[in-house]
Amino acid sequence: MATAMPLTWFAASGARAQGADAAGGFVKATGDRLAAAVNAGGSTAEKRRVMTQIIDGTVDVDGVARFCLGRFWRQATPDQQKRYTEMFHQVLVSNITTRMGEYQGVKVTVGRTRQQDDDNVVTSTVDRPNNPPTTVDWLVSKATGQLKIVDVIAEGTSLRLTQRSDYAAFLTRNNNNIDALIDAMKQQIVQGN
Amino acid sequence: MGLSNRGGQGILMRIFPSLSAGSRRGALLLSLAAAVGLALAGCAQSPPADDPDAVAEFRQTNDPLEPTNRVFYAINDGLDTVILRPVARAYRFVVPSVIRTGIHNTLSNLGTPVQLANDVFSAKPRRAGDTTMRFLINTTVGVVGFFDVAKDWGYPDHDADFGLTMAGWGVPDGPFLFLPILGPSGPRDAAGFGIDIALDPFTWVGKGIAVAAVGWSRTGTNGIDQRERFLDPVDQIKKTALDPYATFRSLYRQNRQSKIDKLRNDQRATIPVWFPNRAGQDASGTN
Repeated sequence: MATAMPLTWFAASGARAQGADAAGGFVKATGDRLAAAVNAGGSTAEKRRVMTQIIDGTVDVDGVARFCLGRFWRQATPDQQKRYTEMFHQVLVSNITTRMGEYQGVKVTVGRTRQQDDDNVVTSTVDRPNNPPTTVDWLVSKATGQLKIVDVIAEGTSLRLTQRSDYAAFLTRNNNNIDALIDAMKQQIVQGN
Repeated sequence: MGLSNRGGQGILMRIFPSLSAGSRRGALLLSLAAAVGLALAGCAQSPPADDPDAVAEFRQTNDPLEPTNRVFYAINDGLDTVILRPVARAYRFVVPSVIRTGIHNTLSNLGTPVQLANDVFSAKPRRAGDTTMRFLINTTVGVVGFFDVAKDWGYPDHDADFGLTMAGWGVPDGPFLFLPILGPSGPRDAAGFGIDIALDPFTWVGKGIAVAAVGWSRTGTNGIDQRERFLDPVDQIKKTALDPYATFRSLYRQNRQSKIDKLRNDQRATIPVWFPNRAGQDASGTN
């Protein structure tokens, strides 16, 4: 009994450290893939295809979509939830591709990993030519069974929190009409292309 | 600008007869913002009490003056589109990146006195030390602040203003305000902005047309420099946000909070690494 306690404690902390290492490695691999995709050049369509692949494999898009709809997720019908999630996926890919499209010579340097509740926060520095280095934190969760990115925090501003407040403000000003939100998102993609 | 604002300046001079050109400039900006704000004040409608989620969100957003704020956002956005953004783009197009960085460094070096005062008020000796060393190194080796040599010598820059200082003391940010010209803010940060102007020694030196001209050019250059640095992110947000106003509100708050967290978490020991430790003290963590 006396020895079992420290043993389980060791096992737990060992697993935690391993989780942190795995999260760090996962973010490093993802960062390298993103940087390679951005720096590769090529057509926008090609970049978009590669970016979609990376996002699908590394981001918990469904979870992020649910988070961004906030309290309105429960008010939405299953059909609205489905259409919204699909649209969110496209918006995410489109936004990231346009944002990354302007960058060239990106370098991601992964730093420490720390535990935050059940998730890991991996800190990194993103360097771009002619720009001051940016601190970017990646929130990595294992909630889906696999390591997935659930948030990106650039210089202390969380992408999913910002997105949620954008959608919440839009819905409040549009009589909480979720179909209006889905239409606006659709409009956004049409304009973005 | 000078001629059309004569009336306003006159009133200000009567109210604050002893103020120098610089302080009148700050007071003019603030009172202009306040006057237009009061003239158009309107309140946001609170959601019905039977929707607790909506009420919680309304409280958390803490933007009771939203209708007024949105009016100012629209005005600022319009002015930005026709004046500030084109000027910032021209600045980027004409001035090479190295020079722009130098100008930014010079402006930042001029802000050292205010930064140092806030480091002291925040009771952060290591930050005050960094600021002092930065000023000494960059003003001399860095050619009057043009080159940020101190950063490479181990004295990095940090954010410090009186809004942050007050936040460190525990003053809450209060309801969101979108001020004419100045942009996103709140009662604490707006008051902090005014106090920073009062803390600036350049506010109090000299009077006369030359000093006023230098002061306004510094304010103007600062505005263009800041705008240039945010050209890409702002364009990006306007393109991708469904409600840019709400997005800027959220980003402003998150950004301030992260600066406050950085200030609070800066618990570096006062004894520098190279200083021989007294017996039993492990302040630097090197032994």
